[in-house]
Amino acid sequence: MNPETVGRRTSPFIVLVHTITFRQARAFVPAVIPLVAATGFGGGRTTVIALVVGVTLLSLGTAALSWWRFSYADGLSSVVVTRGLLSRSVRTVPNDRIRGVEVETPILHRLFGLVRVRVDAAAGAVSGKDEELVVDGVSRAEGDRLRTAVLTHRQAPARQDDGAEREPAEEEFGRFDNRWLLYAPLVGSYLALPLAAVGALFRLAQELPESLRPDVDEEALASVRAFVIVVVGALLVLLVGSVVGAAVVNWGFRLVRRGGSLIAVRGLITRRHTELEIDRIRGATVAEGAGMRLVRAARVNALVTGLGDAARRGQLLPLGPRSEAWSLVRRLVEDPGPLVAHPPAARRRRIVRAVSAGLLVAAGGLVAIVTAGWWWVLVVGLVLAVLGVPLGLGRYAALGHATGPSSFSVRSGWLVREQALLQRRAVVGWEVRQSFFQRRAGLATVLACVGAGRGGYAAIDMAADDVASFTAAASGQWASALLASGERNPRGPGMSSPRAGEG
Amino acid sequence: MTTAPSPVRQPAWQLSRSAIGLWVTEGVIASLFLGIGATLFIMFVPDDLGGPFPVLRWLVPTASVLYAVMAIGVRPWFRFRVHHWEVTADAVYTLTGWLTRTWTLVPISRIQTVDVTRGVLQQLFGLSTVAVLTASSQGTVRVWHLEADVAQRVADDLAHRAEQVRDQAT
Repeated sequence: MNPETVGRRTSPFIVLVHTITFRQARAFVPAVIPLVAATGFGGGRTTVIALVVGVTLLSLGTAALSWWRFSYADGLSSVVVTRGLLSRSVRTVPNDRIRGVEVETPILHRLFGLVRVRVDAAAGAVSGKDEELVVDGVSRAEGDRLRTAVLTHRQAPARQDDGAEREPAEEEFGRFDNRWLLYAPLVGSYLALPLAAVGALFRLAQELPESLRPDVDEEALASVRAFVIVVVGALLVLLVGSVVGAAVVNWGFRLVRRGGSLIAVRGLITRRHTELEIDRIRGATVAEGAGMRLVRAARVNALVTGLGDAARRGQLLPLGPRSEAWSLVRRLVEDPGPLVAHPPAARRRRIVRAVSAGLLVAAGGLVAIVTAGWWWVLVVGLVLAVLGVPLGLGRYAALGHATGPSSFSVRSGWLVREQALLQRRAVVGWEVRQSFFQRRAGLATVLACVGAGRGGYAAIDMAADDVASFTAAASGQWASALLASGERNPRGPGMSSPRAGEG
Repeated sequence: MTTAPSPVRQPAWQLSRSAIGLWVTEGVIASLFLGIGATLFIMFVPDDLGGPFPVLRWLVPTASVLYAVMAIGVRPWFRFRVHHWEVTADAVYTLTGWLTRTWTLVPISRIQTVDVTRGVLQQLFGLSTVAVLTASSQGTVRVWHLEADVAQRVADDLAHRAEQVRDQAT
């Protein structure tokens, strides 16, 4: 289809895979539902069979059509993907825009010996799913060929530097120990997995016809024993579910360095193969949830510039002991040393902020006593206010920053305490923010803007006097513009004003 | 309040004085809408309604008038005293805000795009905004309300210098 490059096709087996998973047909489901509702779901067996056959045929048709209309080509300078059911779309991604290639093998693909290749192409500050090329359904060998081809083409101009290591040895950075799966119940996102599954189950149970529902004696439900059994059962499901969920996602996790790339492989059902360019790594975050801190567990994410879906792809240690996390981080970023605590004014500010919500409720409670005679609102407010004190102290304890010769670090958060370690070159800008109250307390919040991860990492409530020296120490020469001693700039539009307010 | 110690140096240059006019106009427009809303509230909410409404009938107009005085009479001048900007040898530096102040510094070597935008009101006052974008979603510098020709010159100069010193390491 493309005159310059020979379009390659995906394997026809992918039509089968997509028919089974209704991949393309899923788009039509919202249209089909009202149709079915309008004709009236007769409930007869023939209707159901007709519906199943119809949906399958529709799925087969769309899958075949999209297979027929899909082609891709990897040229010397770009990757071109041509697709589209009705309207044609040709997407060309220059090789130097490609940030990484991911090869994944969902279980159905594995049956047919196929893989799915995702080519990650980033375009500056804009992020989204659109910056991704997906070539779904090529043979494993072709997938590997495509990955190597794309990565080699991309690295071709820079090969003078590391020409020596053409076939570089692998170095293992980390390997998942299955005992670490036991940390899973303490991690929020893994706990959410069984919850979602249970929710789906309940919805399914609601839709089941009356005759298929198990007979539940209403009175038995009301007894205390039943209640305890349900609660214990739910807890068990939650615990086991989170461990199983973590196992499915992270099974056999392995992180190796091959040449200039970090390669992470993981997954039980869907094997994922993620490649990160070490040269694009700007830092890492170590995240410890409140529960994880109890057992000294942590997770590590790499901060990579221009990486789409960074929260998942950047994972270097999905779950593990803190010591493991830190030894991994230290291989990527130089440790800037112990954190400097923020001034006592920051502690006051954290406590005031944590307590004020409870006090507001308590104030509302006073009104409620007068108007409606509800005393419990006041009690709840006071309890919240008292609980705010340890929360504020905990939030203060998390605050800190540090600068080293080539890196710096900031930490904050209580529910999830996150420490970001960043290289000096990571900083693409500084934002210093001072609210009215911070100004009175002599504090300021400093945000390091980074073209990776969340886009910015903040040192909350640091002493206002330390801001200029921190920014100068944590980034390049250019940041000295923030220092009070910075020389007056002669290239003005002729409206320079006397400098007021230097710290 | 400008006498309070500031955490970092103040950028050297002030905005165009026309910015005050623009902010006053913005304040007038916002106050007008608020005033219409408050009038409608008084007209259509009956006096004899129970609950908090008798209090609100006083509170809403008072708050609207207070807002108008702030937005038209105080905030523009306050903002003008706070807002500063500067292009140094290797960075763009701004200070914005009035109660909460924000200093933003972006090195020219990390600039990805430079935009000049002119809103409808800005055009009336001959002003433009220069937006400097970087690879970080949070690292955007906006220099508000420069005279249009100054803004264009600054943008051209920044784009030119950014091209020369561009740092591949985004």
